[in-house]
Amino acid sequence: MSTLPIDRRGLLGAGVVVAAALGLAACERKAPVSLAPGVSKADFAGFIAAAKSIVGAEWVAGDAQSVKPWTKKYIPDPGNVHAPVGAVAPASVEEVQELVRIANTYKQPLWPVSTGKNMGYGMTSTAAPGQIVLDLKRMNRILSVDPELCTALVEPGVTYQQLKDYLVENNLPLWIDVPTVGPIASPVGNTLDRGVGYTPYGEHFMVQCGMEVVMPNGDLLKTGMGSTKNPSAWQAFKWGYGPYLDGIFTQSNFGVVTKMGMWLLPAPPVYKPFVVRHKKMEDVSRIVDAMRPLRIANIIPNVVLMMGAGYQLGMFARRAEVWDKPEPVPDEAFEAAAAKVGLGMWNTYFALYGTETMVAESEKIVRAAFEAIGGEVLTEADMVGNPYFHHHATLMQGGLSLEEIGIVRWKGAGGGLAWFAPVAPAKGSETVGQVALAKEILGRHGFDYTVAFAIGSRELHHIIALLYDKSDPADEKRAAECYHDLVTGFGDKGWASYRTGVQAMDLVAQQYGEVNRAVNAAIKQALDPNHIIAPGKSGIA
Amino acid sequence: MRRTVLIAAALVMAGAGTAWAAGQQLGQPLAPRSPEKVYASTCGYCHGTNVGPIILGRHLPAVTVVGMVREGRNAMPAFRPTEISNGELEALSRWVEASAANPQEKGQ
Ligand SMILES: Cc1cc2nc3c(=O)[nH]c(=O)nc-3n(C[C@H](O)[C@H](O)[C@H](O)COP(=O)(O)OP(=O)(O)OC[C@H]3O[C@@H](n4cnc5c(N)ncnc54)[C@H](O)[C@@H]3O)c2cc1C
Ligand code: HEC
Repeated sequence: MSTLPIDRRGLLGAGVVVAAALGLAACERKAPVSLAPGVSKADFAGFIAAAKSIVGAEWVAGDAQSVKPWTKKYIPDPGNVHAPVGAVAPASVEEVQELVRIANTYKQPLWPVSTGKNMGYGMTSTAAPGQIVLDLKRMNRILSVDPELCTALVEPGVTYQQLKDYLVENNLPLWIDVPTVGPIASPVGNTLDRGVGYTPYGEHFMVQCGMEVVMPNGDLLKTGMGSTKNPSAWQAFKWGYGPYLDGIFTQSNFGVVTKMGMWLLPAPPVYKPFVVRHKKMEDVSRIVDAMRPLRIANIIPNVVLMMGAGYQLGMFARRAEVWDKPEPVPDEAFEAAAAKVGLGMWNTYFALYGTETMVAESEKIVRAAFEAIGGEVLTEADMVGNPYFHHHATLMQGGLSLEEIGIVRWKGAGGGLAWFAPVAPAKGSETVGQVALAKEILGRHGFDYTVAFAIGSRELHHIIALLYDKSDPADEKRAAECYHDLVTGFGDKGWASYRTGVQAMDLVAQQYGEVNRAVNAAIKQALDPNHIIAPGKSGIA
Repeated sequence: MRRTVLIAAALVMAGAGTAWAAGQQLGQPLAPRSPEKVYASTCGYCHGTNVGPIILGRHLPAVTVVGMVREGRNAMPAFRPTEISNGELEALSRWVEASAANPQEKGQ
């Protein structure tokens, strides 16, 4: 393995050649930058030259200066081991196939991204060192939108903004579902990482239908109905025939997805957003128990967020406005600050969709359910001018916004965020232990309890925003240690994450056990014997 | 709603008519976008909503704008040439430098 530290000492010795190949000679950075295991400097240079001939020199970054836009991240990475060593941006499926073939020739691993805005999970950084980002953002065609079936087929680089613009410009009464940060993120990237949004189509992989995948050997696979002689049902029927394959291309490294079908929600005649306010930390258990039957029976049809006061405040306030001590913000301080802006300790956002009568009937049921547990059930009329309510009302109709990114400035200007999202069954009793454990681990490392709970259907996601100041190396180190303790501490109780950042992929995979890992490894070996697609993704080498 | 406001404001500032009237066609890649469109569909969601500082009407040098966009200092994400092309960024940076303030925007 050619792990050569690029620091002043390295430049005096063996590192100099790699440094030159990577264009790092003038780089002050002390962090190690290394090529992937088994990749020589000549291999790396060979790949870069071949890639230039495929996509044009303009679309290849092969040195420290030009790769900079691909190295930005919010996650803690004190050793800077997750930075990519290059980037290549194809414009077509054929170019992707060519790139994958030469990657096999030079054994150069590629890390595919669609729009690369996996913020708080690593953006375009990579799970293991020495990888080149395969940036698919230029492939941004909307290939079809069927207003009758309410479906779309898109390329990886299509942002939610593009899709929304298309629907609006063409007066199509269809809604998209966004993962909070819609303008700069994509249906393909988000769905492949099994992300979520907040309309009735919030579970994105559930409403995905049909894929085109460049396999690690360059073959082109179309899943579902896509490979029949007449693929007209490609976006209509998910399962096709035989083993259902789409799942193995999510959170994995078994192929490069170059097209994806998805379902769009017909705009409902009436949309009515709500928030239920509860005052105390311990209320969350009752909220979950009240919500579960409503979600399972689909009386509340959307993915529901129970926003904690800390997370909510972080969107528009800075920590110093709420609490002036280094110790974690106590519940009372959050409660008081939240009350000042019209929020509770828990703010449960959901919406009703349908005809006037349907919405009115459902409203009676949900009001009764939440008033019975002491919740204040509030609507737009009660929350006029409240920016928090407005934000969630935007999300629950697939609206575009980036304002939630304000949370990354909670602790300081430095911008640090790592998402930790363990899964539990949607039972109130689960929240008791989870809240206590999260506070204990975060508190031990000096971090605040800035979280939300989400209920998709029968499961509960505890969405913990680990907010730190990345401009302070000590805080970054603490954040890395804290994240580790969260994964193992929750993992010991069987609460494993639904998804994680590149800094913890192997650690999270460990929580799912050896047999699971061995099966994934066997599939990897069969499909990608040279391990050129994103080694390390989800702990699969 | 907020988008409409931003776009309207941006168009007024540029003194342009329908700078990006032609939307994306099915099966076609996204055509190069005007500075107004790039601002409204990316920058304006943060700059103007308290996530980032106000950048319009401050005569920020174009070179500063380019550097910030490509590297993303602190809490700002970086934007790669695949997201905002070099051509789009050059026009955007000059447009930001020359822009007037937009009183609708909030930010510190
Ligand atoms: C304030 C804030 C709020 C957020 N809220 C949400 C939220 O509500 N829901 C949510 O889900 N996320 C949320 N995120 C996290 C993240 O920003 C989004 O999930 C975003 O959609 C992911 O980025 P992307 O769409 O650009 O995907 P990408 O970064 O392009 O892709 C993500 C990963 O998927 C894999 N991948 C992508 N494309 C391909 C491909 N074509 N072939 C093979 N593998 C591929 C890669 O491993 C890649 O790293 C939030 C982030 C922030 C900062
Ligand atoms: C996700 C939110 C976000 C987006 C989108 C965004 N920025 Fe920023 N921007 C920020 C933040 C936060 C800062 C402050 C960074 C700091 O603390 O150093 C910033 C700072 C800047 C600055 C420096 C301002 C100063 O006062 O020094 C410029 C210039 C800038 N951004 C330009 C842009 C442009 C142009 C775009 C669109 C292409 C853009 N930004 C998109 C969040 C964003």
